Amino acid sequence: MEIQVMEDILGRNDQLASENQMLFAKRGVFVLNLMGSPGSGKTSLLEKTMAALKDNLRMAVIEGDLFTSKDADRIAKYDVPVIQINTSGGCHLDAAMVQKVLQELDLENLDLLVVENVGNLVCPAEFNVGEDVKAVVLSITEGDDKPLKYPLIFKESAIAVLNKVDLLPYTNFDMAAAKKDITSIHPAISVLEVSCTSSTGVEAWYDWLKEKVAAKKMAVNAHG
Amino acid sequence: MCTDCGCSAQGSNTQIKFFVKGYQTDNVDTVERTLLGLPGVYHVHIHAHDGETTIDYSPAKTRLSEITGVFTKHGLEAVI
Ligand SMILES: Nc1nc2c(ncn2[C@@H]2O[C@H](COP(=O)(O)OP(=O)(O)OP(=O)(O)O)[C@@H](O)[C@H]2O)c(=O)[nH]1
Ligand SMILES: [Mg+2]
Repeated sequence: MEIQVMEDILGRNDQLASENQMLFAKRGVFVLNLMGSPGSGKTSLLEKTMAALKDNLRMAVIEGDLFTSKDADRIAKYDVPVIQINTSGGCHLDAAMVQKVLQELDLENLDLLVVENVGNLVCPAEFNVGEDVKAVVLSITEGDDKPLKYPLIFKESAIAVLNKVDLLPYTNFDMAAAKKDITSIHPAISVLEVSCTSSTGVEAWYDWLKEKVAAKKMAVNAHG
Repeated sequence: MCTDCGCSAQGSNTQIKFFVKGYQTDNVDTVERTLLGLPGVYHVHIHAHDGETTIDYSPAKTRLSEITGVFTKHGLEAVI
């Protein structure tokens, strides 16, 4: 019985997610669902990304948070449109929540929409919000055992950003083992080593993102 | 929290446990990682000494025949 209810929830969510996806597709907006544990560095990565790309890409951000607008306040400093969604304790964003706020965005004049999900390595991976791809940020201070312990988020993500590599000397994180596990779980995934603090590896992240945005635009132009 | 929001979709996953004949020390890791790379396989645990193999997977995403196919490809026999 319970499983049936679960399937209904996910089925309904997928339906709304595909409605969102159609809205984005029509305008050629590339949408990234940015996921990861609390404190892994999702907002930090976004801050770097906005500073580097906002003059070349028309960006907007949807911030998912339980109660506060702390992350949205950080984003707003970059003069990028930001919408806060508070889940009132809910541990993930879903397609309905995103759909509700979409009219506040000028989709016609947007290249990239990043949805920062609620900090959580489990539930957000279950719910599409209409994104093109999911990305997971894992900070090396969380431990190299996390990919095997939380496989779904790595299965679902097109890219894994291993953040805080500036702290590698102070941890027992085994980079080779973590990468081997991540690519075993998801053979086609991209894996980047990044430090938002020292800016190591961020260029590769920008390149990955720019390529995705360009590909989305091209797909829309090709289909008229 | 998760019980309220219904994100325990892991409930739609299945755990299967069975015995496999023919594991060698040099193919266990390869088989384990090949299985893990299938779209709906989330966890694989192999006891090489007696062949006991445990797999958590989503039947909606990966068929059982795809799983057994991995064993066949590596010259192993799964008794399911
Ligand atoms: N040393 C180091 N610290 C970092 C790095 N990236 C982020 N941090 C710090 O890690 C802390 C958490 O970063 P956030 O960007 O807020 O993390 P988050 O994933 O957005 O967190 P939630 O939104 O709460 O889930 C902050 O104090 C950051 O300054 C990094 O590359 N190296
Ligand atoms: Mg954040």
